[in-house]
Amino acid sequence: MGLFQTVFRGSDEMYFKAEEELNAVIAELGEDAPMQMPDTAYFLACIYAYLGIKVTTLGELKTALGEIRKMMTRENKTASIFDSGVATAMAAEVIEACKYARTPTPYENTQYHGHFSDAEVRELGVPLVTRDIPGFVVMIGPAPSVEEAVETVKGYQSRGIFVFMIGGIIDQVHSAGMTTGFNVRAVAVGPDIWAVGHVISLVCRATFIFGATQPGDAAAFHEYTFKRIFAFVNAYKPVADIVVACGAGAIKMGFPVITNEDRDMTWPVPKSLIIYPNTKDWIETSLEARDIKIKVTNIDIPVAFSSAFEGEIIRKKDMRIEMDGSRVDCVELVRTREAHEIEDHSITVEGPDFDAFPVGAKIPIAYIVEVAGKSMQTDFEGVFERKFHSFLNCIEGVMHTGQRDMIRIRVSNASFDAGFRARHIGEVLYAKIKSEYDTVVDKCQVKIYTDPEKVKELRAEANHTFDVRDERLKSMTDESVDVFYTCILCQAFSPSHVCIVTPERLGLCGAVSWLDAKATNELDPNGPCQIVPKSRMIDERTGRYEDVNEAVNKYSHGALEQVTLYSIMEDPMTSCGCFECICGIEPLSNGVVIVNREHVGMTPMGMSFSELASMTGGGVQTPGFMGHGKHFIASKKFIKAEGGLARIVWLPKALKEQIADRLNESAKELYGIDDFTSMIADETVCTEDPEELLNFLTEVGHPVLGMDPLM
Amino acid sequence: MSEITNTFITLEEMEAATNRLLETAQKVGADTWQQRAKNQTPHCKFGEEGICCRICTMGPCRITPKAPRGICGCDRDGIVGRNYLKFTAGGAATHSDHGRSIAHTLYLAREDGDYKVTDAEKLKRIAKEWDIETEGRDIYDIAHEVAEVGLLEYGKPFGVQRFLKRAPEVRQKKWHDAEIEPRAIDREVSQSLHMTHMGCSSKAEALVRQSLRAGMSDGWGGSMMGTELSDVLFGTPKPVDTNANLGVMEEDMVNIVVHGHDPSLSEMVVFYAQDPEMVALAKEMGAKGINVCGVCCTANEVAMRHGIPMAGNFLSQENVVLTGACEAIVVDVQCIFPALGPLSKCFHTKFITTSPIAQMPDSEYIEFHEENAGANAKKIVEMAVRNFQNRNKELVHIPQLKTNATVGYSVEAIKKCLDGVTNSHVDEIGTLKPLVDAVRSGVLRGAVALVGCNNPRVRPDYSHIELMKKLIANDIICVVSGCSAQAAAKSGLLSKEAKNLCGEGLKRVCELVDIPPVLHMGSCVDISRMMVLVADLAKDWTEEIDISDLPVVGCAPEYMSEKAVSIGNYVVSTGITTFLGVNPYTKGGPGVEQWLQHDVEDWVGAHFEVELDMDKMCNRMMEVIEEKRTKLNI
Repeated sequence: MGLFQTVFRGSDEMYFKAEEELNAVIAELGEDAPMQMPDTAYFLACIYAYLGIKVTTLGELKTALGEIRKMMTRENKTASIFDSGVATAMAAEVIEACKYARTPTPYENTQYHGHFSDAEVRELGVPLVTRDIPGFVVMIGPAPSVEEAVETVKGYQSRGIFVFMIGGIIDQVHSAGMTTGFNVRAVAVGPDIWAVGHVISLVCRATFIFGATQPGDAAAFHEYTFKRIFAFVNAYKPVADIVVACGAGAIKMGFPVITNEDRDMTWPVPKSLIIYPNTKDWIETSLEARDIKIKVTNIDIPVAFSSAFEGEIIRKKDMRIEMDGSRVDCVELVRTREAHEIEDHSITVEGPDFDAFPVGAKIPIAYIVEVAGKSMQTDFEGVFERKFHSFLNCIEGVMHTGQRDMIRIRVSNASFDAGFRARHIGEVLYAKIKSEYDTVVDKCQVKIYTDPEKVKELRAEANHTFDVRDERLKSMTDESVDVFYTCILCQAFSPSHVCIVTPERLGLCGAVSWLDAKATNELDPNGPCQIVPKSRMIDERTGRYEDVNEAVNKYSHGALEQVTLYSIMEDPMTSCGCFECICGIEPLSNGVVIVNREHVGMTPMGMSFSELASMTGGGVQTPGFMGHGKHFIASKKFIKAEGGLARIVWLPKALKEQIADRLNESAKELYGIDDFTSMIADETVCTEDPEELLNFLTEVGHPVLGMDPLM
Repeated sequence: MSEITNTFITLEEMEAATNRLLETAQKVGADTWQQRAKNQTPHCKFGEEGICCRICTMGPCRITPKAPRGICGCDRDGIVGRNYLKFTAGGAATHSDHGRSIAHTLYLAREDGDYKVTDAEKLKRIAKEWDIETEGRDIYDIAHEVAEVGLLEYGKPFGVQRFLKRAPEVRQKKWHDAEIEPRAIDREVSQSLHMTHMGCSSKAEALVRQSLRAGMSDGWGGSMMGTELSDVLFGTPKPVDTNANLGVMEEDMVNIVVHGHDPSLSEMVVFYAQDPEMVALAKEMGAKGINVCGVCCTANEVAMRHGIPMAGNFLSQENVVLTGACEAIVVDVQCIFPALGPLSKCFHTKFITTSPIAQMPDSEYIEFHEENAGANAKKIVEMAVRNFQNRNKELVHIPQLKTNATVGYSVEAIKKCLDGVTNSHVDEIGTLKPLVDAVRSGVLRGAVALVGCNNPRVRPDYSHIELMKKLIANDIICVVSGCSAQAAAKSGLLSKEAKNLCGEGLKRVCELVDIPPVLHMGSCVDISRMMVLVADLAKDWTEEIDISDLPVVGCAPEYMSEKAVSIGNYVVSTGITTFLGVNPYTKGGPGVEQWLQHDVEDWVGAHFEVELDMDKMCNRMMEVIEEKRTKLNI
């Protein structure tokens, strides 16, 4: 009886709180007052997901709450505690929503994060797929001690587990000076248990975005979360009834709950509700409960190494030393050597080490990773090199940006004090190259230089290598290669999406180029990247191939029958949901608008990134909308069927600047237009009025005005 | 076998398939049970109520309001009670003799023989349980001593059955106090027949008490022997995928159907059906190969150890011949229709009897002994293969009904599956504790053991299937054996897909443990596995409780045989209230019914309930389960 009655009591408690909050806010603002969560296209995502109701006003929220109450049945059956549990989470969403009805920023100037934006949800896509984030933990209540709270959160971080904190544990970690935030994957969600509504909202939106799940199809949401979202809950005692009720919802979603609550208060349920007093052992216990296996990379460095630190920012005041390619000579390079030229795991440092420089110094550095292997190809050098950024960023207290000879690396005071030195960069690069590319790299050594003269010399040498590589890349077109590749890395999350990766069209996440796909295929011939021959072309204009259609059909398990490579209107390629950019047609100008994930504002299409993005994703084909990588924008194959990149009429300013050089170059080559980017509008020209956009285009004489109508 | 399998098959689809086969029967002039059941209706009222006495030649006597006593003065309860005890003794003798024959086979097992020890670990476990030395001994020495000690359980002059010690102590004490601890197995059967002799017992209480004890000698004696030693010889079952229903027969292959109960023969048939020489011969005969499939409990035995498909259960035995594609139906003992003889004559089918215990007219008798097992099995397979060319293709019709099933959930296998949901930081492994937790928390409400035969008195398979569906929809897990298990298999309930028919709690358990919601535990002797399961469950409860405290009930909705009544007696004695869907010929004796359906509760904490309406029965079972939960305060 115990467990069931506890859930029922707790779900009542949450419901009555929601009712009270909602009545109060309605009394204040009226039923017609708008109800909108910021930066999301999914309304109140839990309610939208499980009930299919689009809440846009407080009155509608009231109706929804009525539906939520109906789910809270009171039978002595598991179905009843499951439904009541899910309804409890939805009631929590209502309570939190009431705060947002009053202001879009209720948590401003607090230590809490509150609502997650769609952009944040999408940002999780790639790391979830690559298992860089192997799972999520929701930690509720205060840990037995501050030390243990910090230790446990850090323990999760070091394993790459994304941490959501609710309640007492937040004060604990903050009192110990710990930094929290989305970028370090440890988020202080909110002070009260109803903050869990934000986490479930994020889970629901991940399911919408990556699973192409339909609103109101509760069964499909549960199936997706159970099978594909590796979350779990750590609830410290005392666990109130209301927490147990949320736990029932979590368990329904497939997320086990680990607690130290006493056995006479509740009763364990195998693999679902685990009662374990030894809180210090919760991390491994929890991972086992959710079947999460951590890829262990044991690297001999004095600080932690985890994807949790990938987004960490080192501010100048916390910085011990900096390697800045814009001021001094810096370079990173991979080169292929003969096996006999390499002594495996040799790491050498030539020149003074970090401790030889004063605090805050800008120092030169070159690190040359030399590899050998029977299946190694020089084409892979660049592929490995692109990964350095993420490898080095995973080091606690180290920040890396840029690439090639334009890099910047900062080492924090804390990490320096912990003993982090130049050779540890080598240890990390060695370990990661050997573990990730073990089928092509047999031997690897790293040479690090800090001597200015030597670095200068190496930089010049490397630049020659880069030039050769760029020439080869430039010459590499869709026509010049024999095969394309599939990429179905995302199918763990988006089961019916297939990317077709070509030299001129990289994967929509921006992380998989044709060379990456090629390397992935060589590394794991049965893996996510499969060879697609391109012998049977159907239509050159749209990039339609029989082979490609067969491949998408096969790898989407029949969900998708045909795609084109170069058209946004005719069977455009689908999206998983992790796309860097979304492109949509703007009917008034006959052009296309592109917006990247980072951009939060409106577009002249009257939709934000989130709203545009919700039009596609999850492997669904939506003509007129297409997700893609940033690099694809300057490609000569970009919507070639519709006239190419001359259709681009609007880009967020930051994105435009990022790709300006390549875009201008392509435009010049294709259309003979100089400084094409100056003809493209951005948010400084117009935000959401298409008339303003059209006026601007006319003014600058944008080529789109002379093109055929899109529809 | 067709490539396509059906997720679920409805009773109506099965009945339509049977009707199509009955057309063939009509065409060839064959007699079927459907017709014979009609011919036998209405049944004799006195027989039905159990008030016909013919144990001496003064009678037959039968009880009417005008003649309330027999010539000797025995009243209705005396007559009903004696008949009931004789019925039980028949069942106990049958199961136990099966167990004895397995013990004999184990005694003959040797390294280079037809029969070998397959599960040495289990053998050692039993040896230890029986205080037999295992250290440093040859495994076959141990096997022979275990077999001998096992055989002595049948006739030992003193003491009670060794396996009783497996029960929780509180249960053992109840048995002792109720005076139903079985002594030597044969003694309980003999004493039963002695008690029912003219001029012996006529007191309902005494007859019922001995019925329980005779049943106990079966469940905790002979049947358990059969199960345990079969595992030693042929391997302890673990989950294996197979197929079920008539579609498992292959149109272009030699079909050999094994039928009966004793795995000693069928194991050999399965072995020789894979013999390259035999397969080559089959091809020579124009067949693609040799397909062995099973009917009745022999099917359960070979399915759970080798994944041999199950064609059907008790009332499907004529159907396999009616397909016209059965080259041989090879039988051992129990539940074999004598009708198969004349029926097989209407087709090319060879009806091969093998046991001196089950000899029938119109069959080819190839007497099977453990000593010549291999040679005889090969002979049988060859006979079937050569018969392929005699098939009349015009008569061939195999209904295209075939389900997936996962079978073989021995207690050992269930524990292994449950290990999968333990957490190595928190839980111990090799126990039933995860199941205890699932039940205690309420995620599962309880369990029902569904067993027993088919019976033409009940729409065949209807009760089995409908009860299971309703129970699993209410978060009650089912363990099944015998023909009940095959009814489940035929309809698709033994497939993991059946989780979609479950309540949320059981569904989640199925997903996490990766099991079907209806667990196949084996043949009818394997109901002894269920006894071990409940005993361990009671012992693994947080604080040891009695089996009768568990939210578990037993159910035989369509039973027909003496064995089933014997089973009922030991299941109730074990502390599990048992529901019967057919009256055990006791209606004429209210005193006997009072004991069986009420008063035995004081002895063993469980009783029989007879309910012919399946809906009512199901609700009543769930009610009993909830009552038990309330008593446990869970």
